Amino acid sequence: MNVDAAKSLLPDGLRDLLPPEAEHEAWAVAALVGRFRQEGYQRVDPPLVEFEDGLLAGPGAGTAPHTFRLMDPVSQRMMGLRADITVQVARIAVSRLTRQPRPLRLCYAGPTLRVRGTQLRPERQVTQAGCEIIGSRSAAADAEAIALAANALDTIGVPDLSVDIALPTLAPRLVDGLGLAAADRVAARDALDRRDAAAVRALGGEAARLLGAILDASGRAGPALAALQAIDGLPDDGRAEIARLADVLPRLAEAAPGLAVTVDAVERRGFEYQTGLSFTLFAKGVRGELGRGGRYLAGAENGGAGEPATGFTLYMDSVMRGARAATAEPRCFLPAELAAEAGPRLRAAGWVTLAGLDPVGDARGEARRLKCTHFIDPAVGAGSDPLPVD
Amino acid sequence: MSQAANDIMDEADESRANEPLVLAVPKGRILKELRPVLDSVGIEPEAAFDDPNSRALRFATNRPEVEIVRVRSFDVATFVAFGAAHLGVAGNDVLMEFDYPEIYAPVDLGIGYCRLAVAEPESLSAGDDPSRWSHIRIATKYPNITRRHFARRGVQAECIKLNGAMELAPNMGLCRRIVDLVSTGGTLKANGLVEIETLAEVTSRLIVNRTALKTRPEQMGQWIERFAEASRAA
Repeated sequence: MNVDAAKSLLPDGLRDLLPPEAEHEAWAVAALVGRFRQEGYQRVDPPLVEFEDGLLAGPGAGTAPHTFRLMDPVSQRMMGLRADITVQVARIAVSRLTRQPRPLRLCYAGPTLRVRGTQLRPERQVTQAGCEIIGSRSAAADAEAIALAANALDTIGVPDLSVDIALPTLAPRLVDGLGLAAADRVAARDALDRRDAAAVRALGGEAARLLGAILDASGRAGPALAALQAIDGLPDDGRAEIARLADVLPRLAEAAPGLAVTVDAVERRGFEYQTGLSFTLFAKGVRGELGRGGRYLAGAENGGAGEPATGFTLYMDSVMRGARAATAEPRCFLPAELAAEAGPRLRAAGWVTLAGLDPVGDARGEARRLKCTHFIDPAVGAGSDPLPVD
Repeated sequence: MSQAANDIMDEADESRANEPLVLAVPKGRILKELRPVLDSVGIEPEAAFDDPNSRALRFATNRPEVEIVRVRSFDVATFVAFGAAHLGVAGNDVLMEFDYPEIYAPVDLGIGYCRLAVAEPESLSAGDDPSRWSHIRIATKYPNITRRHFARRGVQAECIKLNGAMELAPNMGLCRRIVDLVSTGGTLKANGLVEIETLAEVTSRLIVNRTALKTRPEQMGQWIERFAEASRAA
């Protein structure tokens, strides 16, 4: 074994999931998807690999730098290994499912691969689970997506959830509308990204007033919304975004009571392809984000206006850091001579059974060696109840 | 990251939820200038913090909900990015070098003024024409900033990473130019170097962890406001 130890080295950011984590993650994914299905989201399962030009079109353009590519020897075309599933689901919705009634609710779960991990989330292979709701402009759809993400995470025991709502189109539109010089635009964007109030003030004039006001209007949802609504001189499209937020917040409070909601009107990193209200999910004490989602246009790249859509993606690497810990399941050892007789009865009663393949003298010792919690004592008989090992 | 390291981090994640806030501060020069700021926001570290013989790295303060850790200036950003510390004090040189998306830098504390500059030997600078450069070799603690800066001008910068005593490099024949922090310029002068270009003006910032800000908005917001007031007052 030692001779080959070096061969077990995996490339950066890839890992073997072992028992019990592998089982635990599979359970969590199934529980999340089960919760999605309860609200009528139907599962789709796109392929791991598809042609690059489809995978990286429209909202997929943001994943281009993260996508592994390979040449398809059959068609001689370049293929991409998906770094995100949302793009694929949007493609399905606007191609094969155009005749399905809107709003169309779809969910998915599966592995994705990215060229490099981040320092905080070094994993390059990440299982994603998520939902998309396509063909609705309604604020109810925004609220449903956020609430469903939070409630699903709640079912797998992620504690102290918090959602940060962003209006990623607001700040760029303000900056565009202010007619700043190119250098000032860069300075404004950097200052907002760093949340540096002093640097925003240093811009002076109307820019300092407007951008400073939306920067200050961050934090708990209630006060943040009030502060945003009190800002004078916003352009109409900015005002519409804030009205949307005002519409979503009470719906969200109703659908996900107890969820901590914050608003960050200047967040835009990672939301470059979002067209409206977006959000990021955090859990207190869990590093990195658990998931994110928001408004986008499905199929706009095909010419035409595209369909309004929203949805969310959960990243299982982060989610598992916050989920309820795996509990060791009870396993019952069956000595070889009575395995066939006792097995069906115990499995029907919900036991996990481990059958001995060869007869052994000491059933308890063998059960302990195989890390079982219980065993059937052959001296008592095949019909007896499992006894604890210790 | 190794599995073991991940497990340790994950354990820490679980137990961290209701812990006190941790403020990471840099050792050395900045720390002296930071003390009055800490005074005015009302954080008083325990006595061991000022004891040069103390080997402790983690200190209690007069506030039960705030702890201080003292680490190297580059490590402040790492601690805060990973959420091991919730707040920190770091120069924008460090922030530019790492560019962590998990860090916000809401307050310019107005301390630790200096600049990040390119310097070369006096003798070289007389006949040097930077517009003709296509490739240069530079000794620096800031390879990322340096590479980015010169790439924008179409110059390939080959960086030799040093952790200190940059000024020695040109005289010892390691390379001819350096990128380093300059405050008075005294060290450069003493080593026969002249500043030829400023990359960035540097001051110390209050930095905060993104997740902490989102999940504990009141508490974090209060501290940001206090530091902002202290810097306005100064």
